[in-house]
Amino acid sequence: MKRFYNDIKKYWYFCRYSAKSDLKAEVANSYLNWIWWILEPLCNMLVYYFIFSNILKSSKEYYIIFIYSALLMWTFFNKNVIYSIKSIRMNKGIVTKVYVPKFILLLSNMILNGIKLGISLLILQVFMIFMHVPVNGNILYFFVSYIVMFLFTFGCGTIFMHFGVFIDDLGYAIAILLNMMFYLSGIFYDIETTMAAPLGSIIARANPMAFLINSMRNALLYETAPDLTLMGIWFLVSVILCAIGVRIIYKYENSYVKVV
Amino acid sequence: MSDKAIVVKDLCIDYRNLSNMSIHQSLQMGKTIKKADVVRAVKGVSFDVQKGEILGIIGRNGSGKSTLLKAIAGIFQPDSGTIDTHGQVSLMSIGVGFKQEITGRENIMISGMLLGFSPEYAKEKMDEIIEFSELGDFIDRPVRTYSSGMYSKLTFAITAVLETDILLVDEVLSVGDERFQKKSFSKMQEMILDANRTVVIVSHALNTLRELCDRVLWLHDGEIRKIGPTNEILDEYVDFMGS
Repeated sequence: MKRFYNDIKKYWYFCRYSAKSDLKAEVANSYLNWIWWILEPLCNMLVYYFIFSNILKSSKEYYIIFIYSALLMWTFFNKNVIYSIKSIRMNKGIVTKVYVPKFILLLSNMILNGIKLGISLLILQVFMIFMHVPVNGNILYFFVSYIVMFLFTFGCGTIFMHFGVFIDDLGYAIAILLNMMFYLSGIFYDIETTMAAPLGSIIARANPMAFLINSMRNALLYETAPDLTLMGIWFLVSVILCAIGVRIIYKYENSYVKVV
Repeated sequence: MSDKAIVVKDLCIDYRNLSNMSIHQSLQMGKTIKKADVVRAVKGVSFDVQKGEILGIIGRNGSGKSTLLKAIAGIFQPDSGTIDTHGQVSLMSIGVGFKQEITGRENIMISGMLLGFSPEYAKEKMDEIIEFSELGDFIDRPVRTYSSGMYSKLTFAITAVLETDILLVDEVLSVGDERFQKKSFSKMQEMILDANRTVVIVSHALNTLRELCDRVLWLHDGEIRKIGPTNEILDEYVDFMGS
């Protein structure tokens, strides 16, 4: 625990700098690039909006923000998990030349995606002001949901990072799982009211992303507070995942070099 | 104790055949691959290096030289035995991994921070590194556009200018063109004069070793065959390799 804290402190600048320069590199390669960070979720949102407002005939209030806000959170989680699986291999150059606590690589990627997320959230805010979405004190739970989500992402990421080193085709399996999770997270519909009775509410609670997205969205758009006990449980689970992940990495990280 | 920079004791490093595998294989692993073949790269090596000393390491290909350096650099965990290093360690080896997409300048910062320096220090040394590396305008282009020579020059410049206490050099002295080689050689000599800097060099260039090193360690099949004064060991090594 203390080692973890010290390492974070020691490599924090590296994380930040590395994220920043990666971002800059992405921008440098094309004109449209930084606009893509906004365009990507925005276009996805339009696709889902077009399809589901016609097929599902959703009568949700603020349906367009309903999708967009969920999509942002999902994209962050999805990208980081996929990255974590191949992160050691992708950073082979660094990993084989100098010691760095391996979860730092994940953290750096989370900062990178976090910056993109931040930009998109600003857009979201503009949407909200434009559509006159009322906001009250429960908006605080928006941030709570995000914090738990960050922890959950980091926990999953560190664990997948470890197994990703040794198992080559883990990426495929996880991609399928993520795809399933995506549809079961209620990004473009409300799980509890759309799905058949017991199943809907079970998934809404047992699938952490569904729960977190829902809590985040309810706080943001409908001024409602989430189920706090459940939030507490997922917070605990996330922290435990982080602890396991970091511990595994500390234990095995020096053997990664021998594999990649 | 304080005048010893590196103390290596009974060091053993194994390469388990930890190849990556598919999910299918890893599920079966419990049954089948328990007794994976182990290659012992370094077998019970003990030595120490005084502060400010220059130690050369020679040996045939595959005798465990680079593994030993990586272990000292902290990249490999020793399977048994201990390594104590006093001070900051940096490893300089051919084709140090830079991030391909970002510029040379940014890579300097990143390397500096990875070696444990503050961003301020790295910035301060930036100009010196750029000048030494002779990269000119290329410093602001992505590293993937570099030639292999430029790559190595940048590597050398970073590790040479950022003053770590312990410098590990893996076959890197023969980089760049004739002129750069001379320059890097004299930089090495200059570093050697610095009594606080400990250097471990792995090289096949015997003449270089003769000029730079205080002592030489001869590694043979993962074991120390001999350690002692440079000329003595090198002569014996030449005889051995010739026969």
